[in-house]
Amino acid sequence: MPEIRVTPLGAGQDVGRSCILVSISGKNVMLDCGMHMGYNDDRRFPDFSYITQSGRLTDFLDCVIISHFHLDHCGALPYFSEMVGYDGPIYMTHPTQAICPILLEDYRKIAVDKKGEANFFTSQMIKDCMKKVVAVHLHQTVQVDDELEIKAYYAGHVLGAAMFQIKVGSESVVYTGDYNMTPDRHLGAAWIDKCRPNLLITESTYATTIRDSKRCRERDFLKKVHETVERGGKVLIPVFALGRAQELCILLETFWERMNLKVPIYFSTGLTEKANHYYKLFITWTNQKIRKTFVQRNMFEFKHIKAFDRTFADNPGPMVVFATPGMLHAGQSLQIFRKWAGNEKNMVIMPGYCVQGTVGHKILSGQRKLEMEGRQVLEVKMQVEYMSFSAHADAKGIMQLVGQAEPESVLLVHGEAKKMEFLRQKIEQEFRVSCYMPANGETVTLPTSPSIPVGISLGLLKREMVQGLLPEAKKPRLLHGTLVMKDSSFRLVSSEQALKELGLAEHQLRFTCRVHLQDTRKEQETALRVYSHLKSTLKDHCVQHLPDGSVTVESILIQAAAHSEDPGTKVLLVSWTYQDEELGSFLTALLKNGLPQAPS
Amino acid sequence: MELAEDWLVESLRLYQDFHAFDLSGATRVLEWIGEKGVFVAGYESSKKNEILHLILPLRLSVKENQGLFPERDFKVRHGGFSDRSVFDLKHVPDTRLLVTTGLPGCYLQVWQIGEDNDVIEAVSTIDVQDREKSLWPRVSVFSTAAPGILHGTRLSGLKTVDIESQKITYSSGTSDSESLSSLQVLDSDTFAFCGTSGRLGLVDTRQKWAPLEAFSPSPDSSGQRWCADVRNRGQGPGPCVASLGSDGQLCLLDPRNLCHPVSSAQCPVSKSSPDPELLRVSWAPGLDNCLAISGFDGTVQIYDVTSWDGKKSQVESLFTHKGHILLDGNEIDATPLVTTHTWHPCKPRTLLSAASDASLHVWDWVDLQASC
Repeated sequence: MPEIRVTPLGAGQDVGRSCILVSISGKNVMLDCGMHMGYNDDRRFPDFSYITQSGRLTDFLDCVIISHFHLDHCGALPYFSEMVGYDGPIYMTHPTQAICPILLEDYRKIAVDKKGEANFFTSQMIKDCMKKVVAVHLHQTVQVDDELEIKAYYAGHVLGAAMFQIKVGSESVVYTGDYNMTPDRHLGAAWIDKCRPNLLITESTYATTIRDSKRCRERDFLKKVHETVERGGKVLIPVFALGRAQELCILLETFWERMNLKVPIYFSTGLTEKANHYYKLFITWTNQKIRKTFVQRNMFEFKHIKAFDRTFADNPGPMVVFATPGMLHAGQSLQIFRKWAGNEKNMVIMPGYCVQGTVGHKILSGQRKLEMEGRQVLEVKMQVEYMSFSAHADAKGIMQLVGQAEPESVLLVHGEAKKMEFLRQKIEQEFRVSCYMPANGETVTLPTSPSIPVGISLGLLKREMVQGLLPEAKKPRLLHGTLVMKDSSFRLVSSEQALKELGLAEHQLRFTCRVHLQDTRKEQETALRVYSHLKSTLKDHCVQHLPDGSVTVESILIQAAAHSEDPGTKVLLVSWTYQDEELGSFLTALLKNGLPQAPS
Repeated sequence: MELAEDWLVESLRLYQDFHAFDLSGATRVLEWIGEKGVFVAGYESSKKNEILHLILPLRLSVKENQGLFPERDFKVRHGGFSDRSVFDLKHVPDTRLLVTTGLPGCYLQVWQIGEDNDVIEAVSTIDVQDREKSLWPRVSVFSTAAPGILHGTRLSGLKTVDIESQKITYSSGTSDSESLSSLQVLDSDTFAFCGTSGRLGLVDTRQKWAPLEAFSPSPDSSGQRWCADVRNRGQGPGPCVASLGSDGQLCLLDPRNLCHPVSSAQCPVSKSSPDPELLRVSWAPGLDNCLAISGFDGTVQIYDVTSWDGKKSQVESLFTHKGHILLDGNEIDATPLVTTHTWHPCKPRTLLSAASDASLHVWDWVDLQASC
């Protein structure tokens, strides 16, 4: 039965731990392998036992695809490949391949060093996992095997994020991962062609939201920074080198210029080098504007933003500092935080989610007293601001993407069906497609009608044309032929040709039917009567009376014989080949009706 | 984009908070449900319209530690589809029911908000007496134990229908055919009306039709279309009825003497309202003597009417919200028209405003004069 099966893995309805199993035309693909950041135990990993209860997964999966480097999409990858066991290919874009291991290692350090976790993947496991990665370019069709192919599309959202099309024969599925339909200051908007997949799989987390405009988010950020520096305070912005840092720097630079501000903005050096390196590598992944300016100058040669020196943290007066790492869990950002936390004029702006166990997570939960190394207690008097800059598509964005790709069906993951009934109706009405909303662990089966191309032999076509009526585009036409299947090709040929190709002899099937007639005359006369009757009735057919007394209608043979027991009854033997079935049946019925009275 | 960036910088000074959203369709409705939810609804005539129950971004609802809440998005809590355009929507307090009105205006639609799902479903209709092609009935709700829907296109057709039993519990019984611009229930027995000509009246439903009335504000204002708003009682002394004309004239009246306005002023609007049906005047629930007007252009203007008396020729707005025009740096000829606005029930200086380009703004303005 041709069908596509989709199962989002894991228990519960929470976001995070993106991991979707797709079965398409016998191929099994795993989409993303995320970690649930809210849990500390096994619940943070997807439930791989669904694939198989016993051990390694290599034989059960044809490939794994990772959409982007966020931990809720790739955080469980080393666990999956090295601890559960998978040796097949893992596909992702080049930037994702470069950045993933960095984030995984950071995360590992926090989990093991900060939280003292035991059963966690090691640095070596991360390395071994990445060896299985096959990097892909945008819009490049990659053959996973001779039937399965994949293609990546630009998704916006973060550097290297992609949407993937998975195709087997004429069946295809598109998985969006996280995407964004509005461009921002350093990334473009997601785009896909009218690829008309059987199914489009997308997140529903933000499907029921209406997003606040980018300008207002920026405004809020600027306002907070501005107010702080105006009152002489210092602003700390802990960032990940390749996250929102670029976006925020460009923003501050633009407005510092406009507002003619002299307050210094610093960028910690480690950040600059790393960022420059990756942006140079992946310049094609940024938006037009960035690419244009990049040609002219170095990414981080801003007028108002300078390299930071650790001694600057002690300088009096207002300043803004971007420093790594992003969750305040170690390094320079934590050092600066410790120096500035005690002053209520200062502010720390957290631009993203922080993992449990980090200082970032603690202060975002409202904690104002932190226990640092050596039992030291740090009182946090500085203002704490949590700002979200991550760009996800909202209800409007989803509608836009569905409109672009034109799928036959849509599947939304990570949502509660009851809470999204309105959205389902909206999608179904606007696009006339079915919309599915499986719970985690629930399988959705989509029947598909694959189109199988069959070549028809010219000879057969010509023969059909000769038969009369020309083929009509809208009316189906019944054709008789023989289907020859060889390797992956299907051909429709005439029976004779098929027999010839196969070296088979044609068998003739002949049917004989007995029709009883009341006739006292001799057989020859009965035959003559039959002949006259048929000749006058079947004006369109060739009726002949043969010298041996038998009558033929086309190729059908009629012979008259006397009944063995009753001389008054004559038996007509009507015989025909399988090909003449129709005429044969007709003749038999006709004769059964009896012969007209012979003129005496 | 330059203009937009300039305005964004200016906005740092002008607004405490500012959020901007793009709805899938423009709305003329902004109806509160509690303090945290609003309804919006589309008014297109040729296609299906959405009715949405939106929950305000968490950031705007929390009282403390605002900084720790990054969510700035509206959440679509419930949604439904309407084949008709929706010009007004009222929530029946303490129920899961909504009433909408629009064109064609021969009936009101009653809806139910889903309890364990997110769908708003049409449940019943209420017939309207006057069936006229281009008029649509105004609606207000008597939120008594048995809620009644007050509605009508003209004074003559004013009725209250019990929403449960569909029985008519009040009928104006007048032959006065003044067409209505707004209806406002004030308490369980009284309501106020404003006719399109500017006639204002207060009606006691327990009595035979004999409204306390004001005739058209002034002879030279004929031709203008009017709307009005009555302030909640107990909000301080001073006039509590405000009426707004399509040429920008604003009149303040005392209900004890509707015939003589306490004051009137010409608001600085560049032109008459291009669509007087969109005129809106509303008293601020959390500020003394402040009101907002919209429906002339892409702005919402706020006035402090504390010391207004007599006829004022020149008044200045306390604040003008230009976000709908300037946020995206539109060309001058493409400026949207503000379709409606509403004050936040508890945050004194927060308003919501919607425009014809489907934008929806939530803004908390800074009182630069610090007197209101």
